[in-house]
Amino acid sequence: MAEHMIEPDAALASGHPAHKAGETLIELRDLDKSYGAFKALQGMQFELRAGEVHVLFGENGAGKSTLIQIICGVQGFDSGSYRLFNEPVSVMTPALAHDKGVSIVFQEFSLIPEMTVEENLFLGHEMVQGMRLAKTEMRRKVHAVLDRLGFALDPRARVRTLRRAHQQMVEIAKALLWDCRVLILDEPTASLTDQEAAQLFDIIEQLRADGLGIVYVSHRMPEISRLADRVTVLRDGKYIDTVQMAETSEKELVQLMTGRTFDEFFPQITRSAGDTLMQFEGVTLQRGMAHDLSFKVRRGEVLGFAGLAGCGKSEVLRAAFGLEALASGEITCGGTRLDRHSPRKALGNRICYFPSDRATEGLAMSQNLISNSTVAALDDNRFSWRGMLLKRPAERSFTQDIVEKLKIRTPGLNARADQLSGGNKQKLMIARGLSREFDIFLFDEPTVGVDIQAKLEIYDVIKTLTEAGKAVVIASSELAEVMHMSHRVIVMREGAIVGELDGDEVTEQALLSHFFAHEEPAAQTAGEVN
Amino acid sequence: MADQTQSTPLDLRAIAPHLLLPLAIIGVVVFFAALQPAMISGGNVVNIMKQSSLFFFVAAAQLVVIITRGFDLSVGANVSLVSVVSSMVMTSLLPGLGVEIGVFAGVCTGLAIGAALGAINGVLVAYARINPFVVTLATMSIFTGIATTISGGFPIFNLPEGFSFALNQMTVLLLPIPLIIAGAVAWGLHVMLTRTVHGRVLYVLGDSNEVAHVGGRRVREHLFFAYVTSGILAAIAGLLMTAQTGSGEPNLGTSLVLSSIAAAVIGGASLRGGTGTISAPIYGALLITCLSIGMNLQQINGSLQPVVIGAILIFGAALDAYRTRGR
Amino acid sequence: MPAQTIQNTARRNRIMASIGILPVVLIVTCGLLALYEPRFLRSSNLINVLRNASFLSIISAGQMLVIIVGGFDISVGAIVALTSVSSALSIVWLADLGIESVAMIVALGCLLGLVPGILVGLANGFFVSVMKISPFMVTIGTMTIAAGIAGYVTGGTPIYDLPDLFTREIGRGSLFRLPYVVYAAAVVLGLLWYMQTQTRLGRYFYAVGGNEKAARLSGLNTRKYIWAAYVLSALLAGIVGLFLTARVGSGEATLGSNLMLESISVAVIGGVALKGGVGRIPMVALSALFLSVLSNGMSLIRIDSKYHIIIIGIVIVIAVAAESYRESRRAGHG
Repeated sequence: MAEHMIEPDAALASGHPAHKAGETLIELRDLDKSYGAFKALQGMQFELRAGEVHVLFGENGAGKSTLIQIICGVQGFDSGSYRLFNEPVSVMTPALAHDKGVSIVFQEFSLIPEMTVEENLFLGHEMVQGMRLAKTEMRRKVHAVLDRLGFALDPRARVRTLRRAHQQMVEIAKALLWDCRVLILDEPTASLTDQEAAQLFDIIEQLRADGLGIVYVSHRMPEISRLADRVTVLRDGKYIDTVQMAETSEKELVQLMTGRTFDEFFPQITRSAGDTLMQFEGVTLQRGMAHDLSFKVRRGEVLGFAGLAGCGKSEVLRAAFGLEALASGEITCGGTRLDRHSPRKALGNRICYFPSDRATEGLAMSQNLISNSTVAALDDNRFSWRGMLLKRPAERSFTQDIVEKLKIRTPGLNARADQLSGGNKQKLMIARGLSREFDIFLFDEPTVGVDIQAKLEIYDVIKTLTEAGKAVVIASSELAEVMHMSHRVIVMREGAIVGELDGDEVTEQALLSHFFAHEEPAAQTAGEVN
Repeated sequence: MADQTQSTPLDLRAIAPHLLLPLAIIGVVVFFAALQPAMISGGNVVNIMKQSSLFFFVAAAQLVVIITRGFDLSVGANVSLVSVVSSMVMTSLLPGLGVEIGVFAGVCTGLAIGAALGAINGVLVAYARINPFVVTLATMSIFTGIATTISGGFPIFNLPEGFSFALNQMTVLLLPIPLIIAGAVAWGLHVMLTRTVHGRVLYVLGDSNEVAHVGGRRVREHLFFAYVTSGILAAIAGLLMTAQTGSGEPNLGTSLVLSSIAAAVIGGASLRGGTGTISAPIYGALLITCLSIGMNLQQINGSLQPVVIGAILIFGAALDAYRTRGR
Repeated sequence: MPAQTIQNTARRNRIMASIGILPVVLIVTCGLLALYEPRFLRSSNLINVLRNASFLSIISAGQMLVIIVGGFDISVGAIVALTSVSSALSIVWLADLGIESVAMIVALGCLLGLVPGILVGLANGFFVSVMKISPFMVTIGTMTIAAGIAGYVTGGTPIYDLPDLFTREIGRGSLFRLPYVVYAAAVVLGLLWYMQTQTRLGRYFYAVGGNEKAARLSGLNTRKYIWAAYVLSALLAGIVGLFLTARVGSGEATLGSNLMLESISVAVIGGVALKGGVGRIPMVALSALFLSVLSNGMSLIRIDSKYHIIIIGIVIVIAVAAESYRESRRAGHG
């Protein structure tokens, strides 16, 4: 990694007065923020000092994103105080934050796909000579920052044509292009390979040494252990605690985050593995996201897919449901080969799929609960006559049932899907699994953006299904979730299956050692953690 | 507890749009009647019924595709082409086969052509996956061109009297026949949209194609049939309007394109797709028809009428933007 | 993939994307026409083609700007008519006031004439960017209103009695045998090209249309740029209105009725993506030239004018189908 070590950058110090380590850069006191009736943040406390990496730690939906959006001015706040560099802030905008030296790497990409890397890097802050863009100067600066970060990117490539990991690099370069005193990183490693991630960690450590204050949002334990100086824990929009990383164990952190211990959190699912329901043999996908997949899905057990984002685990589920075209290999279900696979065929073969992207694939947001709960079962005699006329009373009573059974909080059956909260949306989607007879349930990121209560209820559904003898497959980026929910875990890396762990073999250490390739230095990083 | 606090304002918001349009229509009628009592004379009421029935069909044609987050700019051209072709069929068959068969053949040809034009749009939108705006913009040119070409640009006269009578002048129980047909079609469409699987899927795919696809629906087929339905509805409008003018006109539908979209949107269909019920084209057609007939009675300059309609259109769209804000 | 290969592929894609097939189609069309009908190459005919292309490219450039920021401008045709009426009226009015210098009358009249169109553009921009109303609906509405006002003011009769300086010189005059409007188009397109490639404003238009949320996160005031695009489009439509009025010699409320569809067709054929964020001036100019050549050629070889719209419709479908095919292949490989 020596070639990536950075010379202390003169630019970093030049634009703004240097800060002594330990000086307070950001101070938030008793901050409240609500969207309508939903309280996104309550009584939030946060302090960032120069020369520290301060991790924000919490579940999805705990309020981390809201907090950083307030810091960088994308959102306003309702009450409380916000001091930036010891000056009170009343109104913050993204442009003002940038001018003051607050840079952010968003989790959702803030890039324009049709524009080039270079154009994106300077977006909103182009260098000009008079009216004209100073293109040569900008090019020089781009090269300088890319070299410093060690990213191999073509400044003239259109962002649309880049892989996700490269797009993530552009995001990071965009934040570091300008002098900044505060750097906010929102799950920056979500789509990086381990080597790229290791490179980023080096850069972060260097920036910390230069006296920047760094806010780092993540729920990945290894990263937090490596980087964090202090950790602030959030739960359900409330401030829980700020702790020194050196004095706190991983277990304590998780306990703070979830409000309970691991053992209470995940249900014990009885395993009674039965016959094979579905089988992949040498499957390679046309889009090249995964190759040479062979595995079996069995009744009465939970099969987990683990791996970093972009490793191909969710594509495996999509292929099983007919959403990905196969280049070679075959998928068999109940002894028959699934040719010309499609979601329609999958549903016919009693396969049920819950997409990770609720907003575009899962729910029709402006339709009511009834439409959404039965959409996958409209051909079934239960809800229609010969797939033509709807049986509306049947639909209604089914929806009423699942609302009660899954405890979906809703203003009424005719409410639109987008009127529900994240957890209730997810439960509404899962309701679909009960709308007709299924044998195989595919969950892609089952608890993304869901509060803890809903999470527990979803785990409960998974437990019930499995113990009723169904086959359940989970793909999740949350390591703890795959680890504790699955009886058998398949680990993927860069589109290939790199390991399969069964029963007691499923431990964090075993999983992590498969996450990263052994010959690469980052594997040692992961090893050190444990 | 949360349910309680949420439900009251939501109910109000759900009811308000349903009341707003009928009230607006009544308001318009009352306003013009106060200025000019002829507004509510028997003859004028029949006129309003007839005009708004004709207009209803193009607005409904628009609604079916707007639900799928589409457009149909070719409805006007469709109306013109159906008018021209069905008139030509009737006039050519009339001497040999007599009135009944001639009219019947003309009507059938008209509907078939409407379906075919809709199918062309449907193939391009659903199977070739081209933006519906561009598709129907292009087919609008093409259909208009064909209508002008085959008619030579001139109206086709000498349509059988029976055609005009059957599709325009006849009354059943004092109600003009276009209103009867419009009522029947409106009921049919309502059933299709709310009580069939096809209708349900149209709403879902208007929200998101992927949701319908993941739900195991044949998205393309449903989308295709939405455009065919739209084509048939436009054809009905074409036939009724031809019966009203008494001749096949190659530019019968030119002015209908934008006002049909306007009517559907003012009536409550959102251009974002996934919403809009049968009441949208009904209210929209009634409102616009009452306004323009009222303005005619007041002898407001013909050029100023579109100004009023345009203002109402923007107002309706602003209302839609307000309703869907925050989604 | 090694970095070098990525770079090469990227470069090849860039070159392919920037050239496209339009120039080839244009050259082939011209070649066939010249072989089949030598009158096509007569200078009077070529000047005619160029003049039409100039009108078309100015108004389409405005349409392109609006489409780039993710909108539509259906009101451009009506703005042409409105400008025609308002400029003719203001020239007549100024002449009645007794201003002596004809040049002054014409210059002031033209400036005043542009005002209503710009107001329409401001209204479009306000409703689309601030009120967040669908651009389609807004511009249909303003189109109806603008056309209605133009029709009402003229009462259906054209406004004559425009000074010779306006009708003869600006309308029919030429410099080095080329009509003035060709120079005007060259200047307008040149300025817009400069804006698109060399200034912040140009980039921000692309950014806003490419991903409005990302643009906002980057600190851009997206409303401002959306608004600006509609005003610019209205201004360009107004300029076309002035030249067309001078050309026909009277203020007419029916002027430019085809231009709305034609400008969208030009933009679409010129590769401006309706989803926003994509579109370049040179392609739009080429596309305007192509459509002008096409309709000129069809007239020359005596294809009935009624067929013209059919053929143009088919050309649009082919152009867009080709684009969506390319897009799907790219997605397949991406």
